[in-house]
Amino acid sequence: MPSSSWEKKRLHLRPALVWSIALSSLRLRLGRTVLTLLTVTASCAFVLFLLTTPATDPDEQEKWALMLALSLVVSMAGVLNTMLMSVTQRYREIGTLKCLGALDSFVLLSVLLEAAMVGITGAAAGAVIGLLCSSVMGLWQHGLAFLATGAWAGLWWKVAATLFIGFFLTTFGASVPALIAAKMPPVEAMRGEK
Amino acid sequence: MTLSSIASLSDSLDYTVMARDVHMEYHMGSETIHALQGVDADILTGEYISIMGPSGSGKTTFFNVVGGLVKPTRGSVYIDEIDIAQLDAGELAWLRCLKIGYIFQSYNIVKAMSALENVTLPMLFAGVPPEEAQDRAVEILGRVGLGDRILHTPKELSGGQQQRVAIARAFANQPAIILADEPTANLDFKTGEEIIGLMKEMNRERGVTVICSTHDHKMLDISDRILWMEDGRVKKVARREEVEIQIGQMQEQHGGTGT
Repeated sequence: MPSSSWEKKRLHLRPALVWSIALSSLRLRLGRTVLTLLTVTASCAFVLFLLTTPATDPDEQEKWALMLALSLVVSMAGVLNTMLMSVTQRYREIGTLKCLGALDSFVLLSVLLEAAMVGITGAAAGAVIGLLCSSVMGLWQHGLAFLATGAWAGLWWKVAATLFIGFFLTTFGASVPALIAAKMPPVEAMRGEK
Repeated sequence: MTLSSIASLSDSLDYTVMARDVHMEYHMGSETIHALQGVDADILTGEYISIMGPSGSGKTTFFNVVGGLVKPTRGSVYIDEIDIAQLDAGELAWLRCLKIGYIFQSYNIVKAMSALENVTLPMLFAGVPPEEAQDRAVEILGRVGLGDRILHTPKELSGGQQQRVAIARAFANQPAIILADEPTANLDFKTGEEIIGLMKEMNRERGVTVICSTHDHKMLDISDRILWMEDGRVKKVARREEVEIQIGQMQEQHGGTGT
């Protein structure tokens, strides 16, 4: 007999499931994952490249700072846009998952975890590429003396900043649409638009 | 209201779903649309009830409200005597996961996942261990006739096969209620008939209450009761036998040229 027996029943967040769904989502949407990864990698490479090729000529300082600011703006626009697209494309799917019993927190966390994994991986790859590029250029222009130009001064901070930028931009870019999707009633999410 | 007599019996435990004076309003720009204007309905445990009515009569909105997929503007929906408006997010997720199985007109299979993964998902949400969930998914997919296609993705499946996956997924957690919103609307006649047959079999085998909104007159033959909606209200409710008599009379009057 149906009764009020399920009154106290509720679903709880399962961290292991969040992991496995985030991982399988990255795998199943490989094309989208690679695209996002490339955007993050290119952006982070650009930023670290500039950070490790400071202007030696005082007259060039301003130009360098401007380039750095521009690189940040371009990265931000690129990564935020990519993340926004990749989450909004999935509103319908998110609505379906909620019909199957996904909690709001599940939706939010799995999307954020996915974004963070792409962000960290992309930023790390970007940091390696950026540093490689600036080193090659430094060696070509100055020989080993490029190390004395201050290019690698505070290198760890520069790398850490680059990693943070990659991580922050992806998770922040994903968080806004993910939050909207998680809060949306399933029916609206399934209609596929905001 | 035709339902007043039934409403007075609502103390009985035999009702799985009860809707009381449910109103739903949408705002589209400056316009307010009254999709539901005071719907009362009582649905018996284990019955197969079809909701019929023209487009815009409020069938889908009613379906969404009963399924806890959207909150009504006014009124209450009780599932097993619990007002679902009172549930918090975790309880609502439990309801959607274990109490209700949904079947949609557009299948809503997760595109990136195989049939097996789609059917496994609600069980994983419910906390079934992955191996057991997979075994059960294989079994249910076999039951709906997709035993040889469990690893196919939606792209590799026809509309009818996708709807079979959706049915398997809806039944995965052995819910008490199946809510189906025009499940055959996108299917050809023959496939539609197969899907209807399958839903009816599952209804009989598992004693699940099936609430199915439809335009499809094939559905009438297998329904226990039919509820007609019009302009956001319940116009009438009838048992299948009564409807068959009416159709018979109509056919007599019109010289047997009926539907």
